Amino acid sequence: MDENQAVSQAAVRGVSFDVRVGEIFSLLGPNGAGKSTIISMLSCLLAPTSGDARVMGHSVVRAPMAVKAVIGVVPQDIALYPDLSARENLNFWGKMYGLRGAPLRQRGDEILELIGLVDRQRGAVEKFSDGMKRRLNIGIALLNRPQVIIMDEPTVGLDPQSRRNILDNVKELNRQGMTVCYTTHYMEEAQELSDHIAIMDQGQIIAYGTHAELIKIVGELDRIDLTLNVSSEQVLETWRMLAGVRQVSAQDGTLTLLVEDSTLVLPRLFESASRADVRITSVAVQEPNLEAVFLHLTGRALRDT
Amino acid sequence: MKLLDIAFKDLLRAFRSAFLLVMMFGAPLLMTGIFYLAFGGLASGSASGLASGDEGGFDLPVTKVQVVNPDQPAAQYGGFSAGGMLVQFLQNEALQELVQTTVAPDEASARAAVDARQAALVLIIPPGFTAGIYTPDTHATITLYQDPTLTLGPGIVKGLVGQFLDGFSGSKIALGVTEAQLRQRGEVLDSLSAEGQKLLLAYSAWAQKMGESQSQGTNPLLDIQAPPTRAGQGAAASQSPATLVGLVMAGMLIFFVFFTGAGSAESLLTEDEQGTLSRLFTTPTPRSVILGGKFVSVFLTTIVQVIVLLVASALAFGIRWGQPLAVALVALGMVVAAAGFGVLLISFLRSSRQAGPVMGVVLTLTGMLGGLFTTGIADLPAAFNTVNLFTPHGWALRGWKLALAGAGPAEVLLPVLVMLAMGTVFFAVGVGFFRKRFA
Repeated sequence: MDENQAVSQAAVRGVSFDVRVGEIFSLLGPNGAGKSTIISMLSCLLAPTSGDARVMGHSVVRAPMAVKAVIGVVPQDIALYPDLSARENLNFWGKMYGLRGAPLRQRGDEILELIGLVDRQRGAVEKFSDGMKRRLNIGIALLNRPQVIIMDEPTVGLDPQSRRNILDNVKELNRQGMTVCYTTHYMEEAQELSDHIAIMDQGQIIAYGTHAELIKIVGELDRIDLTLNVSSEQVLETWRMLAGVRQVSAQDGTLTLLVEDSTLVLPRLFESASRADVRITSVAVQEPNLEAVFLHLTGRALRDT
Repeated sequence: MKLLDIAFKDLLRAFRSAFLLVMMFGAPLLMTGIFYLAFGGLASGSASGLASGDEGGFDLPVTKVQVVNPDQPAAQYGGFSAGGMLVQFLQNEALQELVQTTVAPDEASARAAVDARQAALVLIIPPGFTAGIYTPDTHATITLYQDPTLTLGPGIVKGLVGQFLDGFSGSKIALGVTEAQLRQRGEVLDSLSAEGQKLLLAYSAWAQKMGESQSQGTNPLLDIQAPPTRAGQGAAASQSPATLVGLVMAGMLIFFVFFTGAGSAESLLTEDEQGTLSRLFTTPTPRSVILGGKFVSVFLTTIVQVIVLLVASALAFGIRWGQPLAVALVALGMVVAAAGFGVLLISFLRSSRQAGPVMGVVLTLTGMLGGLFTTGIADLPAAFNTVNLFTPHGWALRGWKLALAGAGPAEVLLPVLVMLAMGTVFFAVGVGFFRKRFA
């Protein structure tokens, strides 16, 4: 896949990746990185201005209907008819996938069972909790037994329990043989779910690989987040010169350091701060993760962008 | 098939929306109902105006009257019996809803019937009743024996008998005047002669007819005629209240059908905002089918609304919309115009938040220009009738006026064709905008 619509600025540019059949693939990146644009192109909602993408061998440019027949799309926002019941929503969307009569009823029963809404199937969706709506939102994407399910940040705004349920559902769908294309800006989700991850920023893929491969990019570095009682450029310069410190960045009053071994570096940080008459007011240490990878590649924290 | 699935889904959603239901059916019927109660109800009384209670008039019980009539036809009066004539008068078919008159064999049994409350009153006609009428300077007295607990029924009977007797009293006066005038010219008219009796009876018959006419609200001496009006353009002041209710309902029907057309088309914007339109585009359904389904739903919704309102208003307000084929043609033209206008209007908007105020302003303004809120006002300036030809609402109102006036299919063809043409153009332009945006 190459470029997206280029009016004044391309949303994505020069993007190219492969997703293997039967795996969970995640696009990880901050808001505005271009994840949803790629999802829209894979869903045939948006045509690329140049280039192409193939889903199960079908071109999104030349054979969009064939692509739509093999995919199921879970949009980022809940896209249901609130004044219809869960069953009526399933019936309508099932018809849009070409299901009719007994097969439609049977598939509706299966989906309701899968998403745990059998008892609430007659209730109007507008009276559902957010978690129930999210589950139905996913269920509709499964109506046509898709070979590839495309999920655009399906856990945004959910409470931890509902989020847990959805992550478990994704794993279960994958276990049943479904290929999952998942976008998120939650590093933990990509880390937990994915066989392969593509990290995106500013419309480009800046890293691609398995979780272990991506961690290697930062070289097993620890991450230390600190706050000081006063802003001090002198301390930052001193820390950059310290042995074992690979990178120092500051954002919104928080200093982030990538270091080789936090247990060795931390005492030196406190010592130099003390000499400069600066007090460290908070410290947090993290093992190497995708957040560190993003920080390493962009100089910005994933959560702050 | 998917096209109809989309259309029926929208129809289902429309009929689950309390707001839309009120705007589609409640508001037009309520507004016309208020007008109907204020004016239309006055015109719905029964023909007799008194006894029948099925259309809002008074519901009086029938008064049972027994008549004792020993006044026999006499040869000297040409076999005429004034008592018999009074019995016939009271047994007249026109009075059946007020009085039920039977002839009693004798006075005692008739009085006993009143005492037993089997009759409200007894009229006892004296044996010389006819002679008393014919002979100058004599009089005859009718005795009335009534149940003292009743007032209204006996009062009505007294009035009727009084009306009958006034006719004969007038006859006697007329005969006396005629005799006096003839005498001055040296001629003689004997009241007992055949000519005299003929004159008496003719005057009496005229007096009875006069009384009956006046009791029904008409005067045989006056013939008031309204100037003829052209169908569909008559001054409202000359319309009956029932016709005015029909015109008001037509105005409300048109206004709210156009509202529904725009409201249904607005669902395209709301589906776009709620993400369901995008989701539809990810299903293996061509975009033309999806948009087509949305547009068909606009037509379906307005068609259902028009049918329900026509039937409901006919049942509730007794509106006779006109010849079925003419009504169907006008309804078709209006549905096409309303759907096309709605699609065009919404195609200019970017969001459903804009839709409320824009629809309110545009539809009210075009409705006013189309004359929808002035259907009950006569003598509007001629320029106004020209201006409303530029709106589909004006043509729709013209069509309904013709249909209400009983025009046939050929007569309503012009407004129907104009509405179809306007609707088609509006629809084509609106669809063009939508296709550019979504397809």
